[in-house]
Amino acid sequence: MVNDDGQLYTIEGIAAALMIVVTAYLVVSTTTVLTQQDVHIIDLQLQQLGNDALAMMDTPNKYWDKSNLSIFIEGNKTNEFHNQFLAYLNAESGSGMITGNYEYNATIYYQNSTEINSYVFYESQEYYRENSVKVRRWVFLSDSSPLLPDLDFSVNRTVLLEVQLWRE
Amino acid sequence: MARINNDGQWIVMLGFIISIILVFLALIVNQSALVGKTTSESVLEFPKSEIQDLRAEIMEYYWTDDLNNPYFLPDLHRLSLERKGSVVYYVPGERIEIHYNNGFTEYNEKTLGGN
Repeated sequence: MVNDDGQLYTIEGIAAALMIVVTAYLVVSTTTVLTQQDVHIIDLQLQQLGNDALAMMDTPNKYWDKSNLSIFIEGNKTNEFHNQFLAYLNAESGSGMITGNYEYNATIYYQNSTEINSYVFYESQEYYRENSVKVRRWVFLSDSSPLLPDLDFSVNRTVLLEVQLWRE
Repeated sequence: MARINNDGQWIVMLGFIISIILVFLALIVNQSALVGKTTSESVLEFPKSEIQDLRAEIMEYYWTDDLNNPYFLPDLHRLSLERKGSVVYYVPGERIEIHYNNGFTEYNEKTLGGN
């Protein structure tokens, strides 16, 4: 005679196995979403950092002074721009871990009499599709800049500085 | 035929209840992760810095008394559209009108100047 005392245990086992599989699937898919969220938060912080650095460089030390950003572009002072931008990005409290090296490309976009032109102001490294953000800042130029020879500097001009920023 | 021994019924039921609770807990964890993602996305999307920058630039011209500069508005307009995908406009006057729209966020202001 077939002994079917164990039927209930078999059903329980199958149900438990199903539930474990569903739970494991949910947990794994949750972890994937967490990775994406992480990337977004890093982007967010990097973008904020870049915008803050450019904003500080675009702020004059005192009333009626020129901002550093204007001085750097008008005087073609690429090295000074690079040093100050990196110094602001890497400003740390002195405690905690070092956040790593930043790479960026800075391009000036401007409109001459016919079209929108660009000039590569600084290129720290070639961009190979790393995870990057773009930050931009309007720069007020009251004097002519040798970098932009086709721009009419008889009056004040505004150019757009675009920085593509990523971590190495 | 032997009688089914159902002494373990309680244990079986508790097992079911606990596993169902586990599934629900996993669902909640899943949702909370999505909330963090959408939050950082919406912060990234909101053009706070762009509007502050636009305002600062217009104020720069206001302080040098140069808001009627023939190049400023066309430059601002075309470069914004081309590089940022946003439409900006300003109207000089007693009160300066500032308009910004990038498709998601619209910002309008009438200001006397100042910061």
